[in-house]
Amino acid sequence: MLHRTTTSQKILYYTLLVLLALAILFPIYYMIMISLKLPKDIYRTPSLLPVNTTLKNYLDLFEKRDFFINIRNSLIVAAAATFVSVLFSSMAAYSLVRLRYLYRNWIGRLILFTYLTPSALLFIPLSVIIARLDLSNTLHGLVFIYLTFAAPLSTWLLMGYFKGIPVELEEQARVDGGTRFQAFYRILLPLSAPGMIAVSVFTFTAAWNEFLFALIFITSPKLQTVPVAISYLITGDVFRWGLIMAGAVSSAVPVMILYYLAQRFVVQGLAAGAVKG
Amino acid sequence: MIFSEEANDAVVERIEEWGAMKGVDVEVVMINENETVQRISAAIEAGTMPDAFDLGVDFALLLSQTGQLQALDDLYQQIGDAHGGWLDAMDAILASTDFGGAIYGIPYAASGINVLYRRVDVLEPVGEADAPATWQEIAVNSAAGQDPPSHYGMGFALSNVGDANLTTTMLQSWGGRIADDAGTTCTLDSPETRAFLEWITGAFADGLFPPGVTTWDGGGDNTAYQSGNALFIANPGSVYLNIRENDPELLEATRFSGLPAGPAMHIVPVTAKLRGIPASTSPEKTELAKDLFAFLAEDEFMEQYMSAAIYGPALDSQLEFAVFNESPVHIGLADAALNGTPGTFPDVDNAALAEYQTNFLTPRMIQRIVVDNLSIDDSIAETQAACQAIYDKHNQ
Repeated sequence: MLHRTTTSQKILYYTLLVLLALAILFPIYYMIMISLKLPKDIYRTPSLLPVNTTLKNYLDLFEKRDFFINIRNSLIVAAAATFVSVLFSSMAAYSLVRLRYLYRNWIGRLILFTYLTPSALLFIPLSVIIARLDLSNTLHGLVFIYLTFAAPLSTWLLMGYFKGIPVELEEQARVDGGTRFQAFYRILLPLSAPGMIAVSVFTFTAAWNEFLFALIFITSPKLQTVPVAISYLITGDVFRWGLIMAGAVSSAVPVMILYYLAQRFVVQGLAAGAVKG
Repeated sequence: MIFSEEANDAVVERIEEWGAMKGVDVEVVMINENETVQRISAAIEAGTMPDAFDLGVDFALLLSQTGQLQALDDLYQQIGDAHGGWLDAMDAILASTDFGGAIYGIPYAASGINVLYRRVDVLEPVGEADAPATWQEIAVNSAAGQDPPSHYGMGFALSNVGDANLTTTMLQSWGGRIADDAGTTCTLDSPETRAFLEWITGAFADGLFPPGVTTWDGGGDNTAYQSGNALFIANPGSVYLNIRENDPELLEATRFSGLPAGPAMHIVPVTAKLRGIPASTSPEKTELAKDLFAFLAEDEFMEQYMSAAIYGPALDSQLEFAVFNESPVHIGLADAALNGTPGTFPDVDNAALAEYQTNFLTPRMIQRIVVDNLSIDDSIAETQAACQAIYDKHNQ
């Protein structure tokens, strides 16, 4: 039975929502505030409101330290890893969900286990592989490495999404004379668009934020991605908080825009994938 | 890569200049000094070691024992002869028995030296303007000058970070020892350790440390001092460079001095920054690397480098550099390089002690008392056991 929400309940709900929003937004607000302060004021005047507001940190970051190059590198790596990962994962997921062959379920589980392997355990064997393939200190080498975690995750998520689409729709296309591949890309993929977008956003964000492999495999400053470039603002025991926060704000913007544009699909896609095994 | 960008840039320019002079293509890769171990470890596994690189003494010990470094005795002798000789501290550091009698790295600077910073604008009005001669004086001055929660006296980390290993230096100043003279048996359980722990935990109980020192990260003391939250800190010099650039008022209110003495002895640890050549470097490139090291050691360049960096001198000729006679922090660094205690004196500098320090057992021993309310005796017994386990592992 439905019942009407009382005014006091509404006040309670909204109060809790406001508190939750504050708890989530406060670190972002403080990050922005610190990025707008001079080094001295960061330490000596730890106020919640700006003091001697300045864009010096941003100017230093982009003019002296070429942070645009780091953002460009991250964009290239994350976009390429996402594209390749989703391209192959969609076919892999289709195969695992729709085709019938031996050990299909085991392969599906193995893919998930691959994703769950801690990256710290992988970096030594990957170092050897990357060195032998002569991919050290290259952005395409980094894309190759990111596929080791992006492809299994994408496949697993898309498997759940594909299972939710009635197989009869593809069978209908086959009855009408379409090939299996046509059924895949003309029927299944368009219907899976929210899931594909959700997986793309998820993969992009993981690649955008990845630190360990980018730190180990990229040596040239001109090829550093954003997380590594920000970590290089800490030298020894000195934290350049103003620059670090300016870098964090700047690097968050592309991902925030991406999430804003794709948020509806992200929620739909992940929710759909989450309930299918 | 160190805190000073000017120093980093100077090294890159100098190496490129050498490359151009020799007609050699050089690629200089600057990595954060905090990540040297991870990056080199990965490079060893992948077979992508550089032809030459910078490293610390502890890491050099480890790499030399696993055959990853080339012996450089001839070059050490050659550079020393060309610059009036190495400072005694450099000879002593590289004489560690664990190096097996060979020189595996060419020092380019004395490092790991802490200078004591004090807020004279706060301490002078309470009659405590002079540099403290002992650790106990710091506690007395702190009690007189502090005004919690605005500012506290002793900005020394007691957490699991490298800075907190200063407490091992304090412990040694009280006469405590980590291990015996053979460097094989842990000797933490001693009256001297008890006396030190009574002093430092007493200071903690008296509220002389800023809140959070037991969980500080590596920049905790920097932040505490630059925010005005601590009257005393011990720092190698990065805070000096930072406040010189960003906070001239704080610089004006700061005085610098060497680390104080304890009741038993005066310990001022000095270690070294080294340049090494991996065993994987070809004979031809080894010769080039040696030539580069000699080129980098030339006084004209090193004077420029030292004035921007936060290191002490390693060679006799470097003592004449203007920066070691003018800059207050650099004077302290040079004094420590000359008169400090090399390596881990009075303890034997070996791999077991390095592991003891890497595990932060002295600050952990203090934490067990001030955070977990363990008795001093129980904490010592627990740490003694952990320490002995480390030494036993290395004795096998």
